[in-house]
Parts: sequence; C-alpha cells; structure tokens
Amino acid sequence: MSEIQSSSKKLTRVKLVVDLLIFFVFLIAMDPRSSGVAVHEWLATAALAALIIHLLLSWDWIAQISRRFMRRVNVQTRINYILNWLLFIDGSVMMLSGFMISEAVFPSLGIELPRNFAWRPLHDMTANLFLLLLGLHTALHWGWVVDTFKLSSIR
Amino acid sequence: MKTLGRILIILVVMALVMGITYAAVSASGSSGAPGVEPRFEEGGRPPFREGQFEGEGHEGREGGGWMFGLIKNVGIIAVLVTLIVLPKNARRKRKRTLAAG
Repeated sequence: MSEIQSSSKKLTRVKLVVDLLIFFVFLIAMDPRSSGVAVHEWLATAALAALIIHLLLSWDWIAQISRRFMRRVNVQTRINYILNWLLFIDGSVMMLSGFMISEAVFPSLGIELPRNFAWRPLHDMTANLFLLLLGLHTALHWGWVVDTFKLSSIR
Repeated sequence: MKTLGRILIILVVMALVMGITYAAVSASGSSGAPGVEPRFEEGGRPPFREGQFEGEGHEGREGGGWMFGLIKNVGIIAVLVTLIVLPKNARRKRKRTLAAG
C-alpha cells in the first residue's frame, strides 16, 4: 500500500473515532436529567472544540461543495450540504441559548449574563431540532460509517 | 497557519450566527436585569435544576428512570437512520438485481 493510501486510511479512522466521540458526548450532554446540569454544560462547551475538529477534518469536502454548489452537484450531496449548514446554525443557536441560561459554566467563571425569558424555550426548541438533524446527519452518513468500520476491522 | 485560518473562519461564522440570534432575541424585548431571577407570574419558566428533564416540560418524570432521556434520544436517532437507510439499501439492491438480470 502506498504512503498516501496509508495516511488517508489513518485519517479516515481518526475521523471515525472523533465522530463517534462527538456522537456519544452529545448523547450524554443532551440528557441533563441523566448527567446533571454541570456535566451537561461543561460537556457541551467541550463539544465546541470537538465540533471544530470535526469541521477541520471535513474541510476539503466543505470547501469543494461550497465552490461547486451553484453548479453541478448531485441531489444527495446538495441535501447533505444544506443539512450540515442547518445543523451548524442550529448548534450555534443552541450553544448561545445554553450559555445565556447557564447555571454552572458561566457562574463558576464569575460571569453574569443578562436574563431573557426567551432563551430557555429557544434552547429547548433548538435542542429538539438538533436531535432530529443529528439523526438525519447520521442516516445520510451511515454508509460511510459502515464502510469505515469495515476498513478499520480489515487493517 | 492554514488550520488556524480555518478555525478562525469557523469561529467567525459561528459568532455571526450567534450575534444575529442575540440581536433578534434582545429585540424581542423580554429581558430582565442581570441577576434577577424570573418570577413565574411574569411568564417565565422556572430555572433549570438538576434532576429535571429538559425540553418537554419538567413535570411528571419522577421515578421514570434516569436513563429514559438517553434511551429516548438513541431511539429517535435509530428510527431516523432505519427509516432512511433501509429504503435506500433496498432500492440499491433492486437496481443491482435488475442490472444483473
């Protein structure tokens, strides 16, 4: 196997591990009843870093589709791209509304944010939407997940 | 350097989305003074406390099992994956069979 193939395989494996990690972190963070508010908030804050890594690992695809989006792109890729943007926007709003109603992270840092009654319903709504979008995102990448698992198990 | 630039792009876009949301929520004008706990009579919801369930009302979940939310979330994702992946695979299989026959 060539060096390029080997490093590409390694990168794919890293991507799978990072994605699985993000997925499980989100599952834990998205149920504060199980994890507790402090864990919920700190995990979600840490997930921001994981999300950036996830985007960096997919950067070539993002850049490529962004350039070609208005021209020739197949339907599934187009749907995938739009869904990813929705996920990103929803995730950003969810994170912001979470920060604004923070009861562990920000108070522990001594930061007091202005209260607004709209943040909690917004946080609930975006969290529910995020779960739905995450499900769709997982479904659209299921083939990649299965293939990468097979690739990892073959060695 | 390239990676740093990409991180910066991601953060700028995220900040832009957050900024627009913040402006929209602030413009809706239901804010209170910092440090003032909202009172229920004023139309606010009780602050989130540990042991409460987020997202679908905080009542009626006592003794429902602390893993319920986690299992529910996995269930929702599993249903979505099944609903999308199974028909897609079946269509692909049918296409392959038609091509072979």
